[in-house]
Amino acid sequence: MNMRMACRLSMPLLLLCASAGAAAASEGTFERTVPAQPRGVVEISNVAGSIEVSGWDRQEVSVHAELEGSVERVDVSSDDGRTTIKVVLSHSGHHGEAKLHVQIPKDSELDVSAVSADIQVGGVLGVQRLNAVSGDVNAEIAAADVDAKTVSGELRLKGHGQAARLHLSSVSGDVRLEHGGGDLEAGTVSGTMVLSLDAARSVRTRSTSGDLHFNGKLARGATFDASSVSGDLNVRAGADGGYAYEVSTFSGDISDCFDAKPERSGKYMPGSTLQGTRGEGAGHVHLKTMSGDIQLCDRP
Amino acid sequence: MTEPRDERQVRSLRELPQAIEPQRDLWPGIEARISALPAAAPQAPGAHPLPVRGGGARLRWLAAAAMLASVAVGVWIGRSLLPAGGPGAAAAPATSPPGFAALSGASALDAAYVSDPRYQRQHAQLLRSLPARLAALPPPARAKVMASLAALTKAKEDLESALGKDPGNALLQELLVDTYQDEMRVLSDVQASDAGRGI
Repeated sequence: MNMRMACRLSMPLLLLCASAGAAAASEGTFERTVPAQPRGVVEISNVAGSIEVSGWDRQEVSVHAELEGSVERVDVSSDDGRTTIKVVLSHSGHHGEAKLHVQIPKDSELDVSAVSADIQVGGVLGVQRLNAVSGDVNAEIAAADVDAKTVSGELRLKGHGQAARLHLSSVSGDVRLEHGGGDLEAGTVSGTMVLSLDAARSVRTRSTSGDLHFNGKLARGATFDASSVSGDLNVRAGADGGYAYEVSTFSGDISDCFDAKPERSGKYMPGSTLQGTRGEGAGHVHLKTMSGDIQLCDRP
Repeated sequence: MTEPRDERQVRSLRELPQAIEPQRDLWPGIEARISALPAAAPQAPGAHPLPVRGGGARLRWLAAAAMLASVAVGVWIGRSLLPAGGPGAAAAPATSPPGFAALSGASALDAAYVSDPRYQRQHAQLLRSLPARLAALPPPARAKVMASLAALTKAKEDLESALGKDPGNALLQELLVDTYQDEMRVLSDVQASDAGRGI
């Protein structure tokens, strides 16, 4: 009888010890280094926490992770020029998070997916694809293509004026780009876009209710196309060779810094347009809104 | 100068004549031929002669009534079944988004875009899974995404309302199509945002 009682009392104690051991195993740090090709592909995925990636001159990928909560493990594999780093949460819950610090060959192609984890990238010269749901994305960009996308997180990218193809989109997060160059396509529903480009070849932006603030210089013959439903467009764009501009709004106001006067679209219809040429008219600027106000200036 | 009779538009049944007289009186010729009938074909024994004059009047009234009924049916079809923009205009689809049917001046471009069966199928599919996807998002992110979806809905309503005032406005048409595309993009991004995969 006493023996049975002792067993009954000890079972919960044993289960408690076992679960405490599992919890202890899921917390702590993780270190791993694997060989990698100088221009290989590095894929990283993490649900929560953070992802910090930096480029270096070594031909290897180094992973350091600080794990909290129900993180089961970190899988790192490298095969045929492709290195994969994946934080795996336990099935018991999704409350774990990992802070990843990853160093990759600087010319690697980088592909990062996160849910609520923030992403930070610096010193990577290859193509970057950065996706987050609610996490923020901060990245330094170079002369390679960048595709960055969030749902509610913010996008903040900083370049050095080098030409690249940049594709930035968010649903409700703000989009900020400093010293971009080349071809830019940016879109948001309700976030604010603050964009500065040093030498843009083509710019195409679209928003629903978010405002656009553009400040920069267009290359000779560049095209600039921005539209919004109710967001305001504030464009300060200089250009080598000038540009022909066509600005139209259904119910918003149009203003400019060169004393051109907008005209009504029709005698009995709402809407106004502003058309003309600055300089030689080598480039083309098209701005349009339904109810958002538009400001255009040919000086950054 | 009066319009030709067959090109005049009929707005009310009262505008139609009660009876239409033939352009020339055909009766003398008809009467002469009927009068000659008994000589050519003797009547059968016991048969009663036809009430010739009264039957002709009834026939004329029947013909006029039939014509009147035809015109009335034509007017009803023209007003009730054909779209307001004329026979070439596309009617708003039954499954179009709320408010779209009110867009009486919808352009062919809008109608074609929204009534594309593939668009409708994908849109409906994404909307079905939206609540589950939104529930899986962290609460602050969910609130932001819902605010953005509300902004898209309002943008569509505002554009449709503005197009109602100026149906041929190319700028509004373009922005409306863009907004429908943006809505699909947002729904697709939210759909792809399941935990562990990102977007």
